Amino acid sequence: MRLKRIFSMAWENMKQRRLRAFLTTLGVVIGITAIIALASLGEGFRVSITNRMEQGFELDVLTLIPGTLFAGMKEPFTDSEVANITKVSNVSVATPVMQVGSVILYNGDKNVTAFVGAAVNFTEFVEVFPDRFRFEEGGMPEQIKNDTLIIGHKVNHLNETEPAFAHPNDEVNMTLTINYTDYVPIFRNYTFTVAGTLEKTGTAGLTSFDYWVFIPLETARKIYGDVTDLIFVKVSDPELSETVAEEIEALFPPYRLTVLVPLTFIQQVNSILNMVEIFLTSVASIALLVAGIGIMNIMTVSVMERTREIGILKAVGAKSRTILTMFLAEAALIGIVGSLTGVPIGYGLAHVLSYVLSGFVTPQQNHVFQRPEVERAAVTPIFSWEWAIIAVIFGILICILFGLYPARKAAKLDPVEALRYE
Amino acid sequence: MTALLEAKGLKKTYRMGKVLVPALQGITFDVSEGEFIAVFGPSGSGKSTLLHLLGGLDRPDEGEVSVDGISFSTLNDNALAEVRLRKIGFIFQFFNLLPRLTALRNVELPLTLADLPEKESIKKAEAMLKLVGLGDRMDHRPSEMSGGEQQRVAIARALINSPKIVLADEPTGNLDTTTGGEIVQLMKLLNKEKGQTFVVVTHDPAIAETADQILYLKDGMIQKMKKGRRRL
Repeated sequence: MRLKRIFSMAWENMKQRRLRAFLTTLGVVIGITAIIALASLGEGFRVSITNRMEQGFELDVLTLIPGTLFAGMKEPFTDSEVANITKVSNVSVATPVMQVGSVILYNGDKNVTAFVGAAVNFTEFVEVFPDRFRFEEGGMPEQIKNDTLIIGHKVNHLNETEPAFAHPNDEVNMTLTINYTDYVPIFRNYTFTVAGTLEKTGTAGLTSFDYWVFIPLETARKIYGDVTDLIFVKVSDPELSETVAEEIEALFPPYRLTVLVPLTFIQQVNSILNMVEIFLTSVASIALLVAGIGIMNIMTVSVMERTREIGILKAVGAKSRTILTMFLAEAALIGIVGSLTGVPIGYGLAHVLSYVLSGFVTPQQNHVFQRPEVERAAVTPIFSWEWAIIAVIFGILICILFGLYPARKAAKLDPVEALRYE
Repeated sequence: MTALLEAKGLKKTYRMGKVLVPALQGITFDVSEGEFIAVFGPSGSGKSTLLHLLGGLDRPDEGEVSVDGISFSTLNDNALAEVRLRKIGFIFQFFNLLPRLTALRNVELPLTLADLPEKESIKKAEAMLKLVGLGDRMDHRPSEMSGGEQQRVAIARALINSPKIVLADEPTGNLDTTTGGEIVQLMKLLNKEKGQTFVVVTHDPAIAETADQILYLKDGMIQKMKKGRRRL
């Protein structure tokens, strides 16, 4: 008997036992709904976290700091070391940075503290961070002067309601700590001319420059000497960042430096999120298993009720395999209808859940220096065809698997016994 | 005439708990093409068991059934189902229609099982229902039809695949005399006009007497065979 006819007969059968078919299918719908809801929420969660991290970290930028957390010399890098790193293959730029500590800026009667004062080679720095260095006002001067100053967004706008701290061409006084005598800092004042102020760089990360001010490396070296506190290395391809990191490490004696590779970090977080996602969906799959048992239960009853019918079919000439297929077709139909219904409902549920959950999660706002960012910490569920197809196949397979026992029971019935069944 | 159906030394014993109940104790007879045979006997004489064996619904403990030259003992269950589908038609006392299918779909069922395209099978089933006088009841379900009408549907279903032989188990047993008579007439008509071979199990002497040949069955054995009066 043709499969198409078997399926249309199974469909007719289900239509004539609407309530039973509905309830059995409902179990599958719930199972698939749970799986899709959790999977698309999990996927959305993962993407939003990865996005945030990618905003916070340039994936193609390695950060090199001298020494390690526990051992090694924490001596600053030398220029020859920087030059060696530039020679490593796939390194496009290696730029030295000197940290001048936190600085206080004065503009007329206004003053502000910048938590990070960095002395950089502007030309190279812009090459490394083209996306971070977007100017709100002013811009990179054609000729870098000794007194060029670029101000990070939050330094300039510590309070959004108040006017900006400085504008381009303002002359700003900066107090730098130049030395210590008996632990007492010695300050000296310098005057810089503001070349530009930066746009907000967004999510806080290792390289969020909102609280930074930048002065030319040459200027700082005149004051402090040839000191390099950290090196930013731009690689030509983020995928190669781990290889490049290994090659750089190989250039130096052990414990000389630490290379921070954002990709590794993101990959680790990603794999953790992956595990969480798989765990959640396996929990949801239990619902589907319960639905499968429901199907087995209902179908076993159904086989008993239809014993005589099976006898008739056999007498008329239906093969055992045909009977088996007929019952499996009913199970499969329940699976198909239930799964296909469950996918959109699950996706919808994910949206509802994400909205409801966002009410419970308050956005991060307890950072001492940061003003609260007013945004809903919502996760947008992500629909993935892959997950949908896997869930539908899984749903149908479960139904067929649990339908197998009753269907085999039906197929094995002795025709004479079955015909005699009242 | 060559034998269309041959039964040789059929024996069948049922086990009821610990007791062995011999249902058939050696039955041998032939049916020729175009014959109308009645198997007559009191209840418990093994009539139904015999019919099940002839139709390949059950297998004998001993002996051999062959239809159209095909010996059942050589066939596996699937092949036997195929023989039931193509060579044998069944008519039952309780009609045994599928309750959720319309008359048309019930009649069409064997054609569907035989993988005939739907268009063709519906056309054939319609023609067959018209032949048994139910041209206007095709879309009714069994529950919406009288016993006589249901039995006509069953006859149409039995004949739809042009079987070599139709086996009927007390076809009038559940009908009143008048309706039963009509059903017998229909079968006789099909026998006479289409040469359809029938083996009818009955304990109604009125049917038995109209047959070409009557097999008297008692305690699982053929007591006697007699020529019927063969009249309508």
